[in-house]
Amino acid sequence: MKISKKLYSYYLIWPALLIYSIFFVLPALTGLFYSFTDWRLDREAIKFIGFDNFERIFTDRTLLLAIKNTAIFAVVTVLGKNLLGIALAVGLNMKLKSKNILRAIFYSPSILSVLVISIVFTPMLRSDGTINRIFDAVGLHSLNQAWLTNPSIVILTVAAVSIWQHTGFQMAIYLAGLQSISKEYYEAATIDGAGSWRSFRSITIPLLLPAININLMLTLIGGLKVFSEVFVLTGGGPGNASQVVGTIILRSFGEGSWGLGTAVNTLLFAAVTIIAIPLLIFMRRKEVSE
Amino acid sequence: MNDKMKKIATGLLAGVMTLSLAACGSNNSGAGNASATNNGNGNSSGSGEKVTIELAISKSSQDSAFVAQDLLDEFEQKTNIKVNLQLLPAEQTATVLQTKLAVDEVPDLIQYNLASAITDLNLERNFEILDNEPWVGRLLNKDVLSANDHVYSFHVSQDTGMQGVVYNKDIFKELGLAIPNNYEEFLAVCEKIKASGVTPVFMPFKDNWAANIWPAAAFADWAAKNEPSLFDDINAGRKKWADVPEFATFLQQQYDVYKKGYTNTDILSDSYDMAVGKFLNKETAMMFMGDWLIVNVAEKDPSMHLGLFAIPSSEGASLGASPLGGQLFIPKKAKHMDEAKKFLEFIASKEVAQKIVDAQGYVSNFSDVTTPKLPEYKQEIVDQYITPKKTVLTTDAYMIVDRSELYRLLQDEFAGGLDPEGVLKAWDEKFSQLMKDKGVEGF
Repeated sequence: MKISKKLYSYYLIWPALLIYSIFFVLPALTGLFYSFTDWRLDREAIKFIGFDNFERIFTDRTLLLAIKNTAIFAVVTVLGKNLLGIALAVGLNMKLKSKNILRAIFYSPSILSVLVISIVFTPMLRSDGTINRIFDAVGLHSLNQAWLTNPSIVILTVAAVSIWQHTGFQMAIYLAGLQSISKEYYEAATIDGAGSWRSFRSITIPLLLPAININLMLTLIGGLKVFSEVFVLTGGGPGNASQVVGTIILRSFGEGSWGLGTAVNTLLFAAVTIIAIPLLIFMRRKEVSE
Repeated sequence: MNDKMKKIATGLLAGVMTLSLAACGSNNSGAGNASATNNGNGNSSGSGEKVTIELAISKSSQDSAFVAQDLLDEFEQKTNIKVNLQLLPAEQTATVLQTKLAVDEVPDLIQYNLASAITDLNLERNFEILDNEPWVGRLLNKDVLSANDHVYSFHVSQDTGMQGVVYNKDIFKELGLAIPNNYEEFLAVCEKIKASGVTPVFMPFKDNWAANIWPAAAFADWAAKNEPSLFDDINAGRKKWADVPEFATFLQQQYDVYKKGYTNTDILSDSYDMAVGKFLNKETAMMFMGDWLIVNVAEKDPSMHLGLFAIPSSEGASLGASPLGGQLFIPKKAKHMDEAKKFLEFIASKEVAQKIVDAQGYVSNFSDVTTPKLPEYKQEIVDQYITPKKTVLTTDAYMIVDRSELYRLLQDEFAGGLDPEGVLKAWDEKFSQLMKDKGVEGF
């Protein structure tokens, strides 16, 4: 009985594994191969050039800027999405009459396409746009900014839009986590005289760690792989000011440097893996079980 | 608790994956629909052996005269060859075509721009030489369809996209302004227009390519008059863009038009698609753009009087002419070579070509097809610039590498990141890198 059950589950995995291998593992491996070549449209033969592509990546000023921008975007969005996500989840886990409708409202941006978001936000973020007008109206004129065209803040603006869009999704995972924490802990804590901050710190946070881990991973990987938000909001501009690794890959392909493009992609894959896996292991150790 | 939590999270993840898969799926189903309808058409009209040829065209060119449905239907009736359109997303056209050519998944016909085909699509390697086609003997101007002394492309027209300053004639008349002949006169014109409450120049530099109209004509005009071998030298690595001090001056000129307050305020947020509206509402009097803008405005309001004059970068500058756009090409690896050539023969036939030339107001490129009465603005361009030979091919015609980094650098000038010398220096760096990648000698 036990054996047949096991066999059944192994059978099940084959179709998925096959599809995964054909559409992910195989292209990833070919990509790895091509990142060591000078693959271009206008070359008859593809030549193996060792680490030349990678060497070039680290001497390209725009690419270094893109790596910096990607890091800024990842850090800002990880912090923003998770802190806000926890705050919203804790708030909407309370006994509020309107909590269901509020949950729906906060979640709704994450079901919209990035394209829609950009169409809505682009006019709002103009220097004569809604956001600056609101600042004007409340007398905070000094906060006015050219949000999407000032090179020094544009990546933060894109990050803010991304936080606005995805926090609801993070909130949903945190809510699920919160609801699985038994009420008895809080009751016991109240009897022991713990205030709300103390029970948040000593009960909520430790028992929420699995959810925090999942969210950290999701937001971090999403942040490092950012492409669509930047592409539709700024196209990497003005100039190259908001280029991220994702848009640089597209740029390399557009220039016909396909080998270089795949090299950047390989690098991104390596970076995500190197950052994500140790973090995952570290966070897993911190998890406690009831 | 952990398990429950994980289950919920897994559920959410699965949901996201399903959503993203569904998104891919919807794209596919769109393509599926398109082919389904095509099949439907095929069945209704055809009998016997029908060949279907594929014509790839950018979505932004889907109004092209060569792909009008009645034209394709007529061709199908006459030859039993069906033309199936592959509409490519506008921003991705080059990338999609490059990929198709690289993996030998080629359409039978491609509509593209000759100059860009040389830079983006490796013209000589990928496309059929058309020198021996029956229609070539009737061409008036072979050059606009040729590269390296071979005809590679097809068009019924010989007029190229003219680039300069598009201006509102009525506003000029009201304010008693004449077409400026040099930069100082241009600034004076701007001043007067500004005083009347109209924005003198509309700069839609969110689309960074729009920042290239001024330099592309100004650079080419200067080189043609002062150093005709300049672009050959640049392309051979003997000279650099930053070596020409006048180029920095021209970039500074365009920047000063903005700095002096003669433009819309949010130039980096405004995009080209707003331009037609700005002219229709008479919010702006001028724009550095091509004559296609005049056509776009006339489509919306035929009573608008727009004209075009040369970029006033130096005394008596020539009008910029962009290398002809929207030609048809046949890839060497086309699966239906003969049928594709037949399609060109069909469009080149006297009657069909005449119909297209008449409808589009083209300057005919066939000896037996007559040029119709041209729209006013076009006749002016012909009289003032083309006939007296006061046009110059813009720099686009001479650059054999991807130009988008140059556009980004120009945008950066307006974002305050670079000065004109910095733009040229950074472009030199990128340019030699791109040339080196291409394997051009001297880099």
